[in-house]
Order: sequence, then C-alpha cells, then structure tokens
Amino acid sequence: MTLASMQSVLKRYGSCAALDYIDLEIHEGEIVGLLGPNGAGKTTLIQALTGILPVDQGRISLFGDSRNPFSDANKQKLGLVTQEIAVFEELTAKEGLEFFAGIYGLRREEKKKRVAEALEFVGLSAYANKVPHKFSGGMKRRLNIACALTHRPRLLIMDEPTVGIDPQSRNHILESVQKLREQGTTILYTTHCMEEVQEIASRVVILDQGQVVKEGTVQQLIETVRHEETIIFDVADPLGIPLRQVESIAGVSQVSVSGSRITVISAAGAGNLDRILSVVQQHSGVLGIQADKPNLEDVFLTLTGKQLRDREGSR
Amino acid sequence: MRVLSTVRFTLLRLMRNYIVLLLLLAVPIALLTVFSVILSGMVDEAGRPYFDQTALTMVLAFQLFGGSTVMSYLNEDLFARNRERMTVAPFNRTLYAFSILLAGSAFSFLLGAAIMAYTRLVLGLVWANWGWTLYLIALMAVLSSIVCVIFVCGVKSFSTAERLSEVYGVGFVLLAGLFFPMPQHAVFEFMGSYGNPLTLSVGAVRAVEIGNWNEAWFQANIVLAAIGFLFPVMLVMGRRRLR
Ligand SMILES: Nc1ncnc2c1ncn2[C@@H]1O[C@H](COP(=O)(O)OP(=O)(O)OP(=O)(O)O)[C@@H](O)[C@H]1O
Ligand SMILES: [Mg+2]
Repeated sequence: MTLASMQSVLKRYGSCAALDYIDLEIHEGEIVGLLGPNGAGKTTLIQALTGILPVDQGRISLFGDSRNPFSDANKQKLGLVTQEIAVFEELTAKEGLEFFAGIYGLRREEKKKRVAEALEFVGLSAYANKVPHKFSGGMKRRLNIACALTHRPRLLIMDEPTVGIDPQSRNHILESVQKLREQGTTILYTTHCMEEVQEIASRVVILDQGQVVKEGTVQQLIETVRHEETIIFDVADPLGIPLRQVESIAGVSQVSVSGSRITVISAAGAGNLDRILSVVQQHSGVLGIQADKPNLEDVFLTLTGKQLRDREGSR
Repeated sequence: MRVLSTVRFTLLRLMRNYIVLLLLLAVPIALLTVFSVILSGMVDEAGRPYFDQTALTMVLAFQLFGGSTVMSYLNEDLFARNRERMTVAPFNRTLYAFSILLAGSAFSFLLGAAIMAYTRLVLGLVWANWGWTLYLIALMAVLSSIVCVIFVCGVKSFSTAERLSEVYGVGFVLLAGLFFPMPQHAVFEFMGSYGNPLTLSVGAVRAVEIGNWNEAWFQANIVLAAIGFLFPVMLVMGRRRLR
C-alpha cells in the first residue's frame, strides 16, 4: 500500500524552484532514504508532504487520501522528526513527551506507558526527569526523535536525525530506526550521509536542485555506475610511468598521479586490470593494488557531479 | 479535549520561567520594600500614606508587562521553534493559543496577587478593598495579554512585536505621569487619564477607597470596554496569522 505520494509537486521560492515537479511514492514497510546535498530541497519536500508548507502546484496524498491529506485523522498517523531541534527547554524530557502524547490524544496510563517506552527507545530513561537545557547535542537529538514516537505513527518522517552528533549516538539512532521498521513503521529518512542510507534504506531517492535525479534500491543504484572501476596502484617510481600510454588503453577514462599513487578509472571487467597492470609493471615496481568497488558516493558523484558529504563552503 | 492536557505544561513552563519571575515578581517586591522604607511616615494632603498609592500603582503597572510570556510562548510554539511540530499535530492550534492566553493572564494575575499579599503580610499595608483591586489586576492582565497577542500576530518579526509590547508597558507608565509630568496637551492629558489603562485602574481602586462606586465602575468599565474592543481585533489578527 502507498502511504504517501507526491505528483508533480512544484514549490518556488522567488525564481528558484525548491521542488521542481517532484514525483515520489512511499510504500508501507519501506525505509526510504532521501539523499541530497545541502539545499537540495529535502526539508522543503518534507514540509510539503506534511502540509507545513503549501505548494504551488501538484498533488499530495497521505494514507490514500488526496482530497484532504492533512486531516486530523491522517495527522494522527504521521510522525515528524524535525531537522531543527524543537524541545521545550523548561520541561523535563518526560514532561515534554507527555505534552506531545497529550496532543495526540493519549490518556493517563497509556500516555505514561508510551512516554516511558519512547524514552527507553532513544536511551534517555535515565534522564527522564532532567530538563534538556543541560543535555548534550546528541541527547537533544534523541529527545527530538522521541517527541515524534509516543503516538506510534504509521509513517515516520525524519529530517537529518543524525546531524551533528557523535558516532555512538548515531549508531543508536540507526539501530532504533531499524527496530521501528521491524515493528511495522514506514520511514522516510533524510540525510546527506551515504553510509547511513547504505546501512538502513530499502530504497533510495536522490534529490538534487529540487529534482529526483535517481531512485531505486542501493544495489540498483550501484549497478548504474558498476561499469566503472577505480584502480589505485602504489608504485616505486611514479615518474617513470608513461601516463599517455596508460590512458590510451581501451576503456581507461582517467589517470592521475599523487605521490606514489597512480589512480586509474576504467571500464570494469574485460581484462582491463591485466592490461593496465602489465603496462605499469614494465616501468616500475608495483607495491600494491587496490580496486575500489563503486558505492553510493560514486553514484551520487556521477549523477550530480557533486560531493555529497558536508564540506566547508559546500552550501 | 486535547488542548486541556497542555494547560498543565503551559503552567509548569510559566512557573519555571525564572526571568519572568524575576522581572514580574522579584523586582516589584524589591522596589516596594525599598519604597516602604523611603516613604514610611509620609502622607499626602488627604492624610493617606504615600506608600499606599505607590504600592497600588506598582502592582497595576507591572500588569502592563504580564502579556510578555503569552507573546513569547505563542511565538515559540506556533510561529518559531515548535511551529512544524505543532502544525503536523492533530489538535486545534487556535484553542491552544487561547489556552496560552488564559494561562498567561492567570499567571500574571497570580503574580499581582502575590505582590499584594507580600505588601500586606510583610510590609503591613492595608488594602481597602481586596476583591475590587484583584478585579482590576485581572482586567489589566487580560488586556496586556490581548494586546501582546495582537502584536505577535500582527507583525512578522518577533523582536518588533517584543519592542511594541515594551512600548505599550513603558509608554503607559510614562503617560500616567508617574515619573515626571507630561506636557500640557490634550493628547497627553487624555492618554494620562481616560485613555490610559494604568491611570484608569489606579483611579478605579482609589475611587472605591473614597466610596465613589460610580466613578470606580465607570473607570473599570472603560478598561473592560477596551478588552471588548480588542478581543475581536485579536481574533482577526490570529486567524490571519494562523493560516
Ligand atoms: N523560506 C525560504 N525562503 C527562500 N528560499 C528557501 C526557503 N527555504 C528553503 N529555501 C531554498 O530552497 C532550497 C531547498 O532548501 P531545503 O532547506 O529544502 O534544502 P535541504 O535539502 O533540506 O538542505 P539541508 O541539507 O541544508 O537541510 C534551498 O536552495 C534554499 O535556499
Ligand atoms: Mg534540510
């Protein structure tokens, strides 16, 4: 069953299209990894899908309802983990969760139980009666996640839930997400971190400049760049290698030298490695060879010409 | 009703808001304590202690600032940090805004009552009519909250809304002529008398002290009328801003 869908959704900010005719479907039971660099439109997409942001054009449907997708009944089944941390500074973790459980209609015993569960789930049980004022960034992130869990949403939308936290907290969150999925929650997981998507997503949607540039399973996406292979040689005499000659080998698209390393990008298979190696060996001793399998990072680079990772000045 | 379940937390937030407690409770109590020493033994032409009037004016003047918490909570929850979460939640945000308005006003009122209790119990001031004074404190608290909701819904930038609310509070204190006399001009005279909620509420309490209930009701009812007039303005502004 399709839990959420967007059809040709357009959202402009001035002349810039933050969402440029987006089509998207989320099916029950999936973890959809929404991947894109800063400014790709991930948050805008989520805001449109959850009704926070009115769109200029297109059709949005939640739980099969496209006429009134943001009805209270539908909102009840939706959970949103916002990118910006939004927790009540004056309320303890437990009270804050009780607030949200309350506006989702949970009462007394059930509320208590679900709040305790949510705290347990994000590993904050020991801090239930502390105010988030003194929490670390990672603890606030986890509380921010818990706020969207007490009402047990059918569809959980997470906007960069692991940004700016240490690896331990991140692993905890990733495990939690997988646990949620096992419990039957469908998840839209936004990130610009490859490893996370590769680890948990059952399907990946790559977003760039407001457009879906590619979607499929991690495997499918990697297939699309499988025809290329990166081979790195550690050589004794890098200057002795005739780069021109290596470049002229059929299938080789790029050769570069840095220090004692020669990096060759070439079509995969078809004995290319053999041919390249024999040329290199004629001119220098080879100390090591490393052939890199393509990963999502390469898919992304190939599709958008951009590095995915957060680098300074990438905004 | 879902909104009802939030009231407890709004009150908790208010009670843990130490800056507000400091400004609206600790500061007036400190000032009144100082004044009680400075003004002790001084009486006006009518033979009433100066301190009585100072305390009354101070208690009511601080109510002019009582709406600031309503304003900041509304902003935080509906327009800023918590906006997205509140928007995707299946509950009535208009009612929620009302609950904040009520809780904030009640809180401001309680602080006013606490200051009165302090002056009575610690400073030994005798209030002529508790009920009537509390009624005016309540009116002032509600008025200030409504005015602040209008500001926060009426202007885009929250810091502008905050400045406006300060102008509202400080402005009426100044116009009441408490610190220095205002220039002789029809506008200033009006804003220092029947156009000033602070002057009106102080006047209403003092009218009762001398037994003039007609004048007391008249002045209090002007404040009530202002509430009645601004309430629909607030509704329109709120509706516009909430969608
Ligand atoms: N309120 C706004 N007004 C104008 N432009 C906006 C607004 N919000 C977003 N944009 C623009 O829309 C584009 C998409 O922004 P969005 O926040 O959706 O990106 P994102 O993928 O979530 O990025 P990040 O990884 O940094 O969170 C950006 O170019 C951004 O500058
Ligand atoms: Mg974003």
